[in-house]
Amino acid sequence: MKTELLIVGAGAAGMAAALSAWEAGCRDILLADRRGLPGGILPQCLHKGFGLAGYGTELTGPDYAARLAQRLEKTGVRFALGTEVLEIRGDKTAVLSDRRGLTELCFDRLILAAGCREKSIGSLPVAGTRPAGIFTAGQTQEMMNLHGQDPGKEILILGSGDLGMIMARQFTLAGKHVIALVEKDARCGGMARNFHRCIEPYAIPVLYRTTVTQIHGAGRINGVTLRHLDSGREERIPCDTLVTALGLIPERVLVRKLGEPVWLFLAGNCRRVHDLVDSAVAEAEQVGRSAAIRLDKAL
Amino acid sequence: MQAFDVVVIGGGLLGCFAARNLCRWKLDTALLEAREDVCTGVSRANTAIVYPGFDHKPGTLKAEMCVRANAGFETLCRELDVPFHRCGSLMVSFGEKADAVLKKKYENGHSMGVPGLRLLSGEEALRMEPALAAGVTSALYAPTTGTVNPWELGIAACESAAANGAKLCLNTRALAISRTAEGYRIETGREDFICRAVINCSGLYADRVQELLFPSPVHIAPDAADYLILDKAAENKPVHIIQYEPEDGGKGFNAVPTVEGSLLLGPSERDNETDFAVRADGLSFVRARAERVLPGLDPEDTIRSFAAVRPNPQREDGSSIGSFVIENPGPGFWSLIGIKTPGLTCADELGRYVAEKAAAFLHADANEAFDGHRSGIPKAGRMCWERRNAAIQANPDYGEVICCCEDVTKAEVLEAIRRGAVTLDGVKRRTGTGMGRCQGSRCQEKLLALLAQELGVSEAEVTKDGAGSEILGGGRNEN
Repeated sequence: MKTELLIVGAGAAGMAAALSAWEAGCRDILLADRRGLPGGILPQCLHKGFGLAGYGTELTGPDYAARLAQRLEKTGVRFALGTEVLEIRGDKTAVLSDRRGLTELCFDRLILAAGCREKSIGSLPVAGTRPAGIFTAGQTQEMMNLHGQDPGKEILILGSGDLGMIMARQFTLAGKHVIALVEKDARCGGMARNFHRCIEPYAIPVLYRTTVTQIHGAGRINGVTLRHLDSGREERIPCDTLVTALGLIPERVLVRKLGEPVWLFLAGNCRRVHDLVDSAVAEAEQVGRSAAIRLDKAL
Repeated sequence: MQAFDVVVIGGGLLGCFAARNLCRWKLDTALLEAREDVCTGVSRANTAIVYPGFDHKPGTLKAEMCVRANAGFETLCRELDVPFHRCGSLMVSFGEKADAVLKKKYENGHSMGVPGLRLLSGEEALRMEPALAAGVTSALYAPTTGTVNPWELGIAACESAAANGAKLCLNTRALAISRTAEGYRIETGREDFICRAVINCSGLYADRVQELLFPSPVHIAPDAADYLILDKAAENKPVHIIQYEPEDGGKGFNAVPTVEGSLLLGPSERDNETDFAVRADGLSFVRARAERVLPGLDPEDTIRSFAAVRPNPQREDGSSIGSFVIENPGPGFWSLIGIKTPGLTCADELGRYVAEKAAAFLHADANEAFDGHRSGIPKAGRMCWERRNAAIQANPDYGEVICCCEDVTKAEVLEAIRRGAVTLDGVKRRTGTGMGRCQGSRCQEKLLALLAQELGVSEAEVTKDGAGSEILGGGRNEN
């Protein structure tokens, strides 16, 4: 199988890159994503706040994704959803897996728009046990908003990035008790806008210059030890859930051994972490236009 | 009440191999495991090394078994369909004192017939393993050292035992043992087991299980240690197992390129402790050791830390015992107490040893029908593309990747549950889900749904590793 332009990841960036590549004249585009529906993480972001720059209004994640998907429907961009890209090779072939089989796909250019993964607590030197009840913030968002799964009741959040703040609000609105956000720095890790919307109105405590040094609990987590970094004082806080918002890592594992070939483009959060979807989209549109042009004609 | 010829107490690596080897005779065998799954204790956390045997005292059971077991490991793993990497090891030193220690180990291993041992200069070691720190002064190269996934091996042995007729009884804890006219009665709180012989493989609790009926002259002083795991995408990983012999005579350190492709670092130096809780100073120790020996590793590639607990055997006076302890406190009753390094290497040898004892005691006939071959869950990530495509054609679930870090498909997860996984960790141990760089944050919700669906329970009832470790709803803690 062949395609001129393969885009890996049908989130906001992948869809935006596909649209702009189509509009720039590329007529053979395949957009692959492991999820069963387009939008990447947008479908799990039920809160408003997307699209102020791009659309001049505040949309929810699913609405934002739907707008991109509707525009794509009017193009000839092909979707391969429920499709895992297993390998991308230096000879411009990729191996795709879905329920019908493996496909070896030859492409001329490739845009990687695979987003980010969340840094997990395993990467930190945290002592203690390894019980159930520890989730990443994005994971709890997907659990609650897409699968109706309830992560816990007495929740401590480690990290004060945007995802941590957004989930603190959702937990609170869902009747859960957010004990605090714990932030190692002296200031909030995310955007001021999210602090004013998600933290202040609900009087959720934020403990600055504080971190989690130990996890307690045998089966399920039943508490953590907090360390106040300036005083060195430690205290044990009971909780039944620990949610981590430790930051995002661009997901470039698929291309890590390829170097920087001219046919490879990066778009969206796997290029760099964006605070706003509009900025990821604007950048991806530029990438899409560059990738629309055949390499031999670009010279 | 159930009657058996032999009851094995404890479903760790040792118990699983004891049960499997008992099946070589015409003996009705039961394997009792207190937990919901096998290989959840000592077997679930250790250094994963198949040792060559140069480190043990010549003439001891440990040394003899280790050399023999190492030589037969390919055959064993082929029979059980478990990946085994004979990657070889370099024990490295950075100074004269440690150089001398390596030389002694070389001579020791040579006299025991450990094959292929070579003493290398620092330059030779660096040529062989460029990831090593400059300044390495010598290395003991052992080409026969290897690595295996300990729980994959134990689960394979358990499946092989069950296929040959052993009865696996989970959630069955031995609470009391008494003598009967024909042998022993084991009370479990659920039903009683009567048997003619008992093999006690209770790991950290082996002394206490023996004390249910007999005194135990050996006591287990659990010995905990910390480990780190680096992502398989980490740069500058060694190709060989690296063992560090410190100049100050302190605790050694290992870097093990695992069969999964990650890098295992540890253990730390620690006081005796009983639980599986990680300590911060232990992690710092491991990081410092890694930096000393393999300076190109990036701590940012760490994806997990965990603690292991070893059953360290001690005499009444508190002195440590260096050898394997195999107690025979009463007729037809054997205890494997304090089987630590190289227990993984010798698991099959030890199982065979006690099975032979029991078979001789019971005058059992050989079981001609014994078939040692077991087929593992076919892993999509280990298949070539043609085979993987064929697997999807036969079963579309092979086309659906559930764990994208470790490349595990829905077909493997469903098969793991069919084979006895009842928890998230049970699926992890059988398929590798959640062992990669995101540590399950992207597949856990799918696994929850699959476990609930296949086990016929609600998602809220699904646990990480047994009752009390519910994933949803905040668990059932009383804080």
